[in-house]
Formats: sequence, C-alpha cells, structure tokens
Amino acid sequence: MTNHATPLSTRGSVPSPRAVAVAGIVLGVAAFWSAVPPVAARSPLAPVAIGVVAILAGVWAVARGVRRVGWGAVASGALGLGLGILATRSSAANLQVVFRADLVAQLLVFATPLTFGALGGMVSERSGVVNVGLEGMMLMGAFWGVYGADKSGTWAVGLLVAVLAGALLALLHAVWAVHLRADQIVSGMAINFLALGITGYFFEQLYHKQNIPAGVSSIPNVRIPGVSGWGFLGPAIGDLNLLVWVGIAFVPLSYLVLFKTPVGLRLRACGEHPRAADTVGINVYALRYAAVIVSGMLAALGGAYLSIGFGGGSFSENMTEGRGFIALAAMIFGNWRPFGAWGAALLFGFSTAVAYRLPVYSGSAATLFQALPYVLTLIAVAGVIGRSVPPAADGRPYVRQ
Amino acid sequence: MTEQTVLELRGITKRYPGIVANDHVDFDLRAGEVHALLGENGAGKSTLMNVLYGLTKADEGETIVRGRPVSFSSARDAIAAGIGMVHQHFMLIPVMTVAENIVLGVEPSRNGVLLDEADAERRVAELSRQFGLAVEPGALVSTISVGQQQRVEILKALYRGAEILVLDEPTAVLTPQEAAELFEIVRSLKADGKSVVFISHKLNEVLEVADRITVLRRGRRIDTVPREGATEEGLARMMVGREVLLRVDKAPPAPAEVALEVEDLHVRDDRGLEKVRGVSFSVRRGEIVGIAGVDGNGQTELVEAITGLRAPESGRIAVAGATLHGRVTARRMLDAGVGHIPEDRQRRGLVLEFTIAENLALHDYHRPPDSRRGWLFPARLLERAARLIAEFDIRGGGPLTPARALSGGNQQKVVVAREVARNPAVLVAAQPTRGLDVGAIEYVHRRLLAERDTGHAILLVSLELDEVLSLADRILVLYEGRIVGEHAAGASEAEVGFEMLGGRRQAA
Amino acid sequence: MSAPTATVPPEQEPSPSFAVRLGVAQRAGGIVVPILTAVLAFLAGGIVVAATGHNPWTAYRGIWQGAGFNWLFHVPWDTNTVHLDAFNLSQTLLVTTTLILTGLAVAFPFRCGLFNIGGQGQYLVGLIVANWVGVSFASWPTLPHVLLGVGAAAAAGAVWAGIAGFLKAATGAHEVISTIMLNWVAIWGGQYLFGQGGPLQNTQNPAAPESGAVAQSAHIPVFWGSPELQGLDVGFFVALAMLAVFWVLLNRTTLGYEVRAVGYNPDAAAYGGIDVRRSYLVAMAISGGFAGLAGALDMLGYLFQFGTLDVQASQIGFLGIAVALLGRNTAVGTGIAAFLFGGLLYGTTRGLDPNVFDPSLAGNLTSMIQGLIVLFVGADIFILYLWNARRKVRSRRRRLHEAAAA
Repeated sequence: MTNHATPLSTRGSVPSPRAVAVAGIVLGVAAFWSAVPPVAARSPLAPVAIGVVAILAGVWAVARGVRRVGWGAVASGALGLGLGILATRSSAANLQVVFRADLVAQLLVFATPLTFGALGGMVSERSGVVNVGLEGMMLMGAFWGVYGADKSGTWAVGLLVAVLAGALLALLHAVWAVHLRADQIVSGMAINFLALGITGYFFEQLYHKQNIPAGVSSIPNVRIPGVSGWGFLGPAIGDLNLLVWVGIAFVPLSYLVLFKTPVGLRLRACGEHPRAADTVGINVYALRYAAVIVSGMLAALGGAYLSIGFGGGSFSENMTEGRGFIALAAMIFGNWRPFGAWGAALLFGFSTAVAYRLPVYSGSAATLFQALPYVLTLIAVAGVIGRSVPPAADGRPYVRQ
Repeated sequence: MTEQTVLELRGITKRYPGIVANDHVDFDLRAGEVHALLGENGAGKSTLMNVLYGLTKADEGETIVRGRPVSFSSARDAIAAGIGMVHQHFMLIPVMTVAENIVLGVEPSRNGVLLDEADAERRVAELSRQFGLAVEPGALVSTISVGQQQRVEILKALYRGAEILVLDEPTAVLTPQEAAELFEIVRSLKADGKSVVFISHKLNEVLEVADRITVLRRGRRIDTVPREGATEEGLARMMVGREVLLRVDKAPPAPAEVALEVEDLHVRDDRGLEKVRGVSFSVRRGEIVGIAGVDGNGQTELVEAITGLRAPESGRIAVAGATLHGRVTARRMLDAGVGHIPEDRQRRGLVLEFTIAENLALHDYHRPPDSRRGWLFPARLLERAARLIAEFDIRGGGPLTPARALSGGNQQKVVVAREVARNPAVLVAAQPTRGLDVGAIEYVHRRLLAERDTGHAILLVSLELDEVLSLADRILVLYEGRIVGEHAAGASEAEVGFEMLGGRRQAA
Repeated sequence: MSAPTATVPPEQEPSPSFAVRLGVAQRAGGIVVPILTAVLAFLAGGIVVAATGHNPWTAYRGIWQGAGFNWLFHVPWDTNTVHLDAFNLSQTLLVTTTLILTGLAVAFPFRCGLFNIGGQGQYLVGLIVANWVGVSFASWPTLPHVLLGVGAAAAAGAVWAGIAGFLKAATGAHEVISTIMLNWVAIWGGQYLFGQGGPLQNTQNPAAPESGAVAQSAHIPVFWGSPELQGLDVGFFVALAMLAVFWVLLNRTTLGYEVRAVGYNPDAAAYGGIDVRRSYLVAMAISGGFAGLAGALDMLGYLFQFGTLDVQASQIGFLGIAVALLGRNTAVGTGIAAFLFGGLLYGTTRGLDPNVFDPSLAGNLTSMIQGLIVLFVGADIFILYLWNARRKVRSRRRRLHEAAAA
C-alpha cells in the first residue's frame, strides 16, 4: 500500500516516487494533448516521446513501491501515446471540431456535479457510512434548488433550499445507518427511490404540465477579466459558472479539512477503527451523523448546479440521470481521496464531453463512449491497477459498549 | 519510592449469567511499583481491569484512586484520572502514523483550526526519548513491528498523562527479544515514578519484572506475595490449586495402531508469526491424547493445520497411515478421516439458521444417500437427524428445529453427534465444553470416553486443565509452540500446570 | 520474520449478513411484518397525497381499479378483456410476470449473502439479446424460435451477472459496486445498439432510434385477451414456474444447500467443505438468468420493439429490489409482492383514469411507496433482531438459572 508519510531520513534527498508517478500521469495526458489542438503536432514523434517518458516514470515509481499510481502512470503514458498517434492520423479538420478550446469548459461543466457528489460521498464513507444515495440527494438538490430560486427570486435562496433538502434526506439516511444500524446499502437505495418519487411528484404538483417558467434566477457565470478573450484560455475557463469554481475550490478545502485538521483526523479514525476512536473519547455517532449530512449537502449542491447553474433554471424528471452513481464511481476510482476523486471526475467529465463531439467521427460510437466511466471503475474495483481500499470500517454499523 | 497507595480496588464483585467473574477481589497498587496480576484464563484478571478502566460496571465494591473514591463510566474518565491501559488487542489505526495515533483526540493545533503535525511529531519524539521508547513518529502503524506498536500504545497512555499503567498480557504477541525489551521499558517506567499493573499468566515473566504478585483463581484473590521468596512452584500451586475435579471413572486405555501422526509441524498465524514451532506427536486408536496449555500458545493454529483450515508452513501430517501431500483443504481432511469439533461452535461448527437436520448433514450433504447428482433428499436428512437425536440425546427440538433455538449444550451435542457419527479415524476436539453448563460438560466427557472405548483416536485440545487431566490417557503440554512435557494419566495438576506456565525444572 | 502487520481487534469479525438478519426477522415476524410494512408505506403515501390537496381515498381507489384488482371480487369472472376491469387485470399480470423474475433475481443472491442491484442491467441484456434473436431467424417455426430467444436471453443475463460474481469470487470486489456499474454499461450499450446507426436499429425507419420489430414467429402466444390489444401471454406461467424453480433450487438441491449455508455463515460453510467463492459466482449467474429471462418474456411477449428512450426510462429491474425485500426473499413472498407492485405500477400509469387522479402524480407516488417500503424493511430487520435477541437473552438466563438450581 502506498506510504504517504515518507521516513524522515529520506525526505528532501530524492524526489518521492509518488510525485514521479503523478508526474507520469500528467505526462501521459500531455502526450495525447500534444497531438490535438491547440498544439496539434502532426508528427507522431511528439506523443511517442512524451508517452515513453511517462511510461518510464511509472515503471520507476512501481519499482519503488508506489504501485497504484505508478501503474496508472504507465497506463496513462501508453494511452496517451496510442491515442496521440491516432490523433496525428486523423484529419486536422475533425480534430478541430472535437478539440476546440471550449472542450475544457465543457469538461469542467460535466465534472462539477460529479465533483460535488464524489466529495460528498467521500466525506460520508471516510466516517464509515456507505452512501449509495448520492443520486437521490443530488436530485433533491436539483429540484428544490430551482423551486427555491423560483419562489424567492434569487439563486442564493435557491442554493440554500437545495442544501437544506439534501441535508434532510441525508439525515434520514444517517438515522437509519447510524442509529437503527440498518443495512446501509438498502437505506441508500431507498433514499434514491424516495427522492425520485418526491421530486417527480412535487414537480407535477407544483408546476403541473409545464416546465419551470423562464427567467428563474440562475447562478451567474464568472467572467475573468483579461482572460475572456484570450486565445485558448479564454473559451476554456474565461466564462464559467460560479458553482464550477466553488466546486474546484472545495477540492483543496476538503483535503485540508480531512487531512490537516483535528476534525478530519477524528473523522477518518471513525471510518478506520471506530472502537479505537471511542476509547480516546471521540463521539463516533455524532461525527458520523455530521459526515452523512454534509455529504447530502454537497451532493445537493451538485444537483442544484444542474438545475439553476448549468440548466439556467430548468428541471426535468430524473434530471440527474445517474450522475450520482458516476460520482460514486469517481470516489472509488479516486481511492477515497479528494484530489483522486477530482481527477476521476475530470476524467469522466472529459469522456462525456468528448462523447458529445464524437458524432463527427461516428454517430453511434459516441454513445458507447458514455459507458467509459463505468468500465473504468469496474477495472478499478477489480484491483487490476492496484487495490481500491475503502476505509476499514466502511459500511459496518458501530455499537458503543 | 514511597509506600503511598495510588490505587485500591476493594471488594470488587462482578457477576455474569452463570458465573461470578470477580468474587470480592481486593487489589492495591503502590506508587512506583510493578504489581503483577497472575492467573489462568478465566481467573478474572481482564474483568477486574475492565472494571477499573470503566469498560464494565462492578456489581459490588469500590475503586479508590489516590485516596479518593471514583466511579468511572467510560474509558475517558479513567484516562482523565491518570490511568492508562494497553489492551491485548491494540486500539491503533493501521493507516495512520504513529504520531497521529498518539495524539488522536487531544491533537495540538495551530491557530485553533489546523492540525500541527510538526508539533505532534516533536512531542512524540520528546516523550519517546524521555521514556526510552524508540518509535518513529512519522511511520505508518501498519509498517512497524508488533513490539513497536505496543510501544505506541504505551506512549498513547503516557501522552495523556497516565501515572498508572495497566498492561494486559503484553507479551502475548511479542517475540522473546521484544519481551525482553518490554521488561526494560517497564523498569524505566518504574524509575520514572509510574506505577504498573502487569497482567500475565507466565510465571517466569512475572518473577522477572514484578515487585509484588497477586494471584487470582476462578474469580477470587488467593494471595498477594512480594517478589522476594516467591518461587515458580509456589505460584503455580496457588494458580492451579487443589480442587475437586470432575473426575470421570474410566477404563484403562487399550491403544492400537497409530491413527494420526504429526511430524515437525510448523504453522504461522495470520500475522506471519510462527505459532507452532516444530511439534511432533502421534495419537493411537483407543486412546485420548490431551494437549494442555494456556490460550495463545499455538493450540488454535495446531488444530487448524490438522483439520485443513490452515496450510502448515512445513511438516508432515499422516492420517491412518497415509501422509497427506499437496493442497490442504477442509474437505480433504474430512475425507481423509479427520473429525473436528471446533472451538467456536456458533461461528465455525454450526449454521445457526439451519435446522438440526441440515446441520447434521453439513459434511455429507453432497453424497448419497443425502443427495444424488445434485438433487437433495430431505427425507434422508430427517431420518439421520431423528436417529442421531435419539442416540445422542439432543434436547430442545426435533429435526426441523433451527439450531439457533437450542441451548449451548444441545448445540454442542449436534456438533458432537455429527462428527462422531461419521466414524472418523481421528477426532479432534477443541475446547469441546466451552460455555457449557455442568450437565452438558458431563455428557461430552462421557461421550468422548465412550468413543475412546470403542476404539477411536481422540485428540483433545483444551484450556481447562481439569478436563485434560481427567480425560486424557497421555498429556502433552504446549508452551510457546513447542511440546515441553509429556505425562501419563494420573499426573498431578501442579506438575502439568507448572509446565503450562513456562516453568522450568532445575536439572535434578 | 515476514512483514509485520497490526493486530486485528476482535470485533472486526464479519457482521451478520443480510440473509441472517432476514432469517431472524422471518422467524420473529412471520407474515404480519411484511403486511404491516406495506400498510405503513401506503399510509405515508396517502399522507403526502392528502397534504398536497388530493383525496387519498379516491386516489387509492382509482389505482385499485386501474390495477384491475376489483375484477377479482366480481364473481362470476368475466374474462372478456374488452371490458376494462378484465383488461386492467390482464395488464397487471403482464407486469407481475416481469416483476416476479426481477424480484427473484434479487432474492436468490440475497440468500447467498449478496446484494444484486444489477437486475436492471441484466434485464436489459436479456431484452437486447431476445430482440436480436427475434428479429433474426425470422424463418424459424415458432416454438424453436421462442425457445432460442428465451434461452439466449437468460444465458446472456447470466453472463452479465456472472461478471460481477466472478469479480467477487476472484478479487473480492463488492458486488454492489460492480452490479451498479454493469447496469449503466448495459444502459449505454442498449442506447448504442438501438440508436441511430446502431447495429440493432430497425432498418425500416432510420430516423427512429428504435430496435427492429420482433418477427411474428417469435411472439409468445397470448392466452388471455387479444394479441392486437396486448393480451397476457404464456410467459406468465413461465414466471410462476420460475417461482417453483427458485424454491426447488434452494431447498431440494445441493447447490441450494450450499448457497443458503454461505448466506448464513460463510465460516461454517467453509468448515463444512463448501467452496464459498464458487457459490458466489453461481448464485450471481443464476440471478442474472432470472433477470435475463424477464427481458426475454417482455420483448417476445408484448413489447416486440424497444427504443433508446425506453432503455433510459425502464425501472423495472430496480423495482425488483423492493419486490424481493418485501417478499422476504422467499418464493411465495416474491410472488405476492410482485402482484402487489404489478398492480401498483400499472394502476398508477396506463391503467389510471386521469380524471380520478393524475397518472404522473400517481407514478411518482409509486416511487415514493417503493422507497418507503425498502426503507422500512431496512429498519424493521434491526428492530426484530433486537426483539429476538432480547427474548433469547431472557430465555437463556432462565435456562441457566434452572441449570444452576438443579
């Protein structure tokens, strides 16, 4: 297993294998990127060269014991190399259609609800409570968020209502999982069904056959002055929704809280060894309750983004369409770590964004591409690229003696 | 070193359904002393300390810390009062560092919000230097040795200001070197003015490190003696005692050919520690061989190896003359003729939700007459069940009663019936009377003797010395993975108990 | 010495599996508890309906009539499906057919201690394969054509579920995660296959993202109602037969013995010589077979064609979870629960008179009730567990006192 605490004696002398492995993953991406716009090198030499370096970095890291990320670097390098060569063979015009600068923007847009969901799921599971109800919490956030924004006239209140709705649903899950010690997966699935029914019912009830009226206050975009018009970066990140940036900000924030504060340490202790935590005076029940409720709030934010952020004030039944499960997959793929989950969310967002543009190559193959996040997660849980290790006490109800 | 008493337990009594775990026990601890609590399994040592630490409430008696009566309702209270406990099963989080484990719950923080990791590591390093407990603050607990993990547990207690330390069977998980290091640590803690309660069942350790020794037996305090003048024989006699045994009348054995042969067996446990270190013995038809020993000396792993639940590292096992090679599975051993009464009947021996009939069929359901080509014949199962219920006097239900509804004794009868009815070449009985009432115990003993008398070979592994002494024709003593003594039937408890506790005879 | 590891605290032993908890619940509550659970859920649903300004009584009565349940009470039974009540009931039974099988697909692995959430994906896989067989091989006579379709679909479902079972057996991967992932792969696979340009898209109308139409020779014969108006097909009896197969498998075969043993206590099962991992694989494969069969019966029984929108909207595999849980994972329970949910599903959608209660509201009411039932099942197990445990402790104490006094 990867050792995230390096022995004091070797710190500073040699670059840590883990850092090298991460660099390898980045290089793999770069290998692919070198062949597509805006770089668009036409010679296969570029992706090959960079890809080989990435693979070597990965192998070096694996040899030094960093198995999971190391093999990830090897895979990334190989894929970047292969896909990069493919890209150099493809027509430049097609590439232009697929890889416009706003692909990055689309990627971030798709990744945002996933990021919120994955971070929420991570908080809950790190405390020891499995949460497969992310989909339901997200859906509640989507509907009640737009309802709140509609009725109050401001998106801020809409967000508040969304967060409240997610918290309430999560509270239900918390009571079932922590207090009643019910099977947490059963409880999570029940939450999903409930949310589907509740949001659909009240959507019908309150808005009848029509859609949400136009002009509902929606979360504004953030135009970065000076960047907006500028070359590649402009269309990429110059005009993104506020919530996208909030989502990105939550990633280092959650890392900070989870790994650098006493609260985070105690939370993780509850998820790894609740009895040990109990004997040193930590209130396991209270922390788990808090974690589950926070996860509901985060998932609901992701849902609210769908309706009053990206959606511009709209809702449709079952709007989340499985994003909650992709978020769950991202959390697992990212090994229950904030940056890992975010990386997975970006990857999945990327594959969705590309899928929308693939019709330029082949109409139907684009649909298949949408299944990629799930296939990747299957590979991850099968432990093909290193083991996917959840918190040790995840899913196990705790009984205080 | 003052004569001041820092801790006193008076008249502690704790009852559980059916047994009295502590019977008006008195215990006191002086400042700066190492006071050993000595006793066999079930003597009441752990219960007494659980009461002290607030994990259990006593029915009677009081606890007095530094002259003041206290009542702890949780571990937190005990810690606040300056008592730290190092459990047998460590309360450490493997994926966190040593420093994180130690400061958990009382973490130092920078400006109130962020965790001050550097400060934590510094304090831990300081503490470890002060007490001579070498640990690496930044190392993950999963990567350090068991001995080091124990040091982390001790540091955890010291970090919270413990003045009184309770070590519960600390050498149970250590290698001999690590144990020696531990004794050094105990001595240095003493030198620092800490008071230590050292719980153990091993005579030699207790004599090496303790100032005073309190012996518990069956929930009662037998005596408290100072180190000077205490001998291993004397302590053993106090621990094992001279009691009325459930001696069963038995005919002299008539051993025939060898049914089970074990040669130079080495077995490792899940943690990679070698628990069976070169054991050799044989069991003949018509005799009961008893393996005596205190829990944790390798019995569990030995039984698992013989019954196919754990692959041995090296060594030879032969059943009815045929050596078993290759992959070890439970089914292979079953087919080879090894019967197994497991030590945990509810976890291993029975499927509690199954009926008696289904449980009785657990080993043979896949064979005729119970089934043919995958098709099960419940009528056959019921027939067998009716027969065995009558033969083995299983009470509390009929063939269709779920095993969950039976009493412990009757559940064990089901297990015994199943194993015995298969006519195994050798029957391995591990703790066969654990948790049973007197009547059920008597039944099991009679049954085992009956099997012996009809020519079966029985290997009895038990923590109850009385049981081994009364049933076995030959007694082997297992200590730290090795056979340290062999006795014939009729051996005295003192003799055998002495060896069980690691006592060594002076060369005559 | 090999690499040292931390000591494992004693209570990191496996907590009682779902099968054990359900077994305890069964013994304690019998049939009363499921009925109570359903009643509670309907009550809660009724409160929501009332709180939003509708009359719950008329709503539920409308659903009741929409499901055709009132037909059962009008003796002598009028079997002419031109009349609404008979028609409604025939449609309810059509949905019941599917739900029995998707319910069994969840119930069977539960008995082995596994949670199969992949019924939806396994159903879709079966449906897709049945469609392909039905569209191709059009020249075959009916019986072999149908048998081939049904058989291939069941096999495909078994393979789909078997992937998750294999991952669990070989790598210990949690079946909940892998079946959820496989669900979505199947959904997207279906959208690809039936979508524009997809290999299974119908050739008549390239603009429509729909599958081809199943040939007449692969239509399962209808026995109640007219085929033009979607009558009840013989598949209904197949589903009933599968309930029996389920029971027989579990209680009369060595496989069933092993599955139940592993579900209750994997340690004891291993001690008895059972190959626990193989049991996981086989249990998942069988459950996939049930779900795949459901897809085949739907496709060849009355759907005959399926579009990408249908792939997205289908929820019938998930409903199987509620069916199995309410039916306590038994054959009889699953059958009854499937009938209840079948009526609920049809009675709140196509069967519901819009003037009585809005079908889209009613459809969502179904989801809510489904959620509540699953929620209550999750909790009542624990409550019963406690109740049972308390009773056991008291009786054990009593017995010990008796023994001590003797």
